[in-house]
Amino acid sequence: MTSDSAVVLEIREAHKSYGTRAALNGAAFSLRKGEWLALLGPNGAGKTTLVRTIAGRLQLDRGEIALHGQTLSPQDQAARRQLGIVPQELALYPNLTARENLDIFGRFHGVGGQELKDKINWALDWIALADRANERIKGFSGGMKRRLNIAAAVLHQPSVIMLDEPTVGVDPQSRERIWQMLNQLRAEGASLVLTTHQLDEAQTICDRIVIIDGGRTIAAGTLEELITQTIGPQRGVFCKVRDAQGAVEEEHHAVDDLSEALPSLLSTLKTQNKQLLDLRIQAPTLQAVFLHLTGKELRE
Amino acid sequence: MIATLLKLNWLNLKRDPVALALSFIMPLVFFTIFAAIFGGGGDGDGGMNPIRVLVVAEKNDAFAQKFVDTLAKQPSLTLTRFEDLEKVPEVEPDTAAGAQVRAGHFDAALILPTPLDQSVGNFGQGGPGAVLIYDAANPVARFALSGLVQANVMQAAPDIMLNRGMGMFAEQGAPLTPQQQGLVDEARDFLNSDDGEGGGAAGTELLPLEERDARAEGEGDEAAPKSIVAYYAAGIGIMFLLFSMTAAGGSLLEEEESGTLDRLLSSQLSIHQLMLGKWLFFSISGTLQLTVMFVYGALVFSVPLFTVKTMSAFVLMTVVAAMGAAAFGMFLATISKSRAQLSGISTVVILIMSAVGGSMVPRFVMPPAMATAGKFTFNGWAIDGYLKIFWRADPNHSLGQALLHIAPEMGVIGLMAVLLLALAMQTAKRRQAA
Repeated sequence: MTSDSAVVLEIREAHKSYGTRAALNGAAFSLRKGEWLALLGPNGAGKTTLVRTIAGRLQLDRGEIALHGQTLSPQDQAARRQLGIVPQELALYPNLTARENLDIFGRFHGVGGQELKDKINWALDWIALADRANERIKGFSGGMKRRLNIAAAVLHQPSVIMLDEPTVGVDPQSRERIWQMLNQLRAEGASLVLTTHQLDEAQTICDRIVIIDGGRTIAAGTLEELITQTIGPQRGVFCKVRDAQGAVEEEHHAVDDLSEALPSLLSTLKTQNKQLLDLRIQAPTLQAVFLHLTGKELRE
Repeated sequence: MIATLLKLNWLNLKRDPVALALSFIMPLVFFTIFAAIFGGGGDGDGGMNPIRVLVVAEKNDAFAQKFVDTLAKQPSLTLTRFEDLEKVPEVEPDTAAGAQVRAGHFDAALILPTPLDQSVGNFGQGGPGAVLIYDAANPVARFALSGLVQANVMQAAPDIMLNRGMGMFAEQGAPLTPQQQGLVDEARDFLNSDDGEGGGAAGTELLPLEERDARAEGEGDEAAPKSIVAYYAAGIGIMFLLFSMTAAGGSLLEEEESGTLDRLLSSQLSIHQLMLGKWLFFSISGTLQLTVMFVYGALVFSVPLFTVKTMSAFVLMTVVAAMGAAAFGMFLATISKSRAQLSGISTVVILIMSAVGGSMVPRFVMPPAMATAGKFTFNGWAIDGYLKIFWRADPNHSLGQALLHIAPEMGVIGLMAVLLLALAMQTAKRRQAA
């Protein structure tokens, strides 16, 4: 993916209100071909409303959604054929087998015949459930259901996939497997939008980050761009020291260039007769950027 | 700990209006319904539906006319003279009266012999007896009318009864001769015997009554069914059909709660397709449910299902009833916000409709207002339709006439199905993009 790749999904000035409360207040972002975009925001920021709007489940009061350059109207599901929506809920039928669930959702997405059979077999291998394909899924683990939940949304080979908290409540092994699966889709050319509260994962996996709050986009860019725009690129140096009187404390220093700052910092400690017990260096994180932008107050 | 549990349960109860209604209001509603059915709403006369009786009596028989006039004063009877029928049948009055009872237009018919005065007070020794044609579905009407007719003899003919007594005295004189003693002994033995019931024991009655089942009248090639099991198959079947269709309609709410509905509607599926698909499936499963009920009734309780006419009418009625019940269940589901709410609402609505509509107590034992209220329920119309098929069918009807016979019930239920489905589809739209 490059910065001049074609825009596949674009949200322009999205407004949506419930009574007097504005859930979306001008939110906007664009997704490029092959890009992996993190859509972040505190609780109540408007993420779910935005995803539901893109999925055609909500109607915007004002604004536009364009998929591959075509403006989407709310109930035009045919135009959304290129979209794959992975809901946060395990939206599957527990009394059906894994294969039956895939068959049902594949058909509702317009896939049928031999193509569907091939896609189901592919999906079962992809989510590592081929050996459990004919078991009812109500006995599956959370991780297995999560993987199936994703597979049910991509059988029709959408070019844009929206994932709402796809790894919530699963163990590290399953999470790792899910990221591998999604990377495979991206490698095949799909573009992905991920909403998550797992900021460390978003930071590691995504190409770009969009942060919304109060229903509008408050920041967008790569992690480096966001860091530069907000908290700056300084590293945090945390020194745990014991002074001459035996008291232990942690000192925090913000530095631009570690190679220049560290020798002088250590020299200063020696001069002050402080014993260095531990040294920790922290690069700017998405979490710090996020808290800087959205504040530390609880959102309920 | 116990106090905390009490508090917890009370808080949950008082914040659940449906549970509160089920706990405190529903029992009162049901108490009121059944009190109105069996207690007549406290108006003192029991409030029972008057028994509708068709009377066949010779117009020129003055005593018969007096007898009918006296009988008509009974508040628990509503008499209609045969000649006053809107459309007097051209067949023999006896046959026509049986057909009228069988069709449910009257609860019973009374055919008086001519001359009537020769038949009363002779303890079976005089003229021919009267005929009481009853609907076995309504045993109350049969026994009440039988008793009232006997009581009416004393009221209508005290002179005849006195003359008969004096005549007997004059004939026999006193003291009792051996012959008289023999007669007395004979009468005493007879009265003390157990052989005193049904039309065969006419001798114990002031007016001998031959009681006939209307369904045994004019039977063609169909065997007369032996019970009214079909009524209960319809009553119970329809009530449970409504419950199961409502539970099935709840799948929509289940899918909404699990997020599956969102997923379905994010695919190429529209809410209208979803609703129509569900309705179609529920209609099919409802049809099978009722079919199983009646086939079981036919095999175990001899419900007369397996004739071409009955089966044809049954299939049509069952399909329409299932379509209506499915639409009803889906409508309730779409106006409910959760499965818990649906469960509460459906319990209240279905139980009330079943009580008023005749699923629990036959409507002919209800007071008139209550019986009329039953016409505003799904159960009432469906049960009426099945009654027409299994109980009130005219054996002389052709297949076309038999189907036309149930057309009003099918029409009303079909209309209910269309309206409820349209309302359900409209209400479900809010689950589409908002």
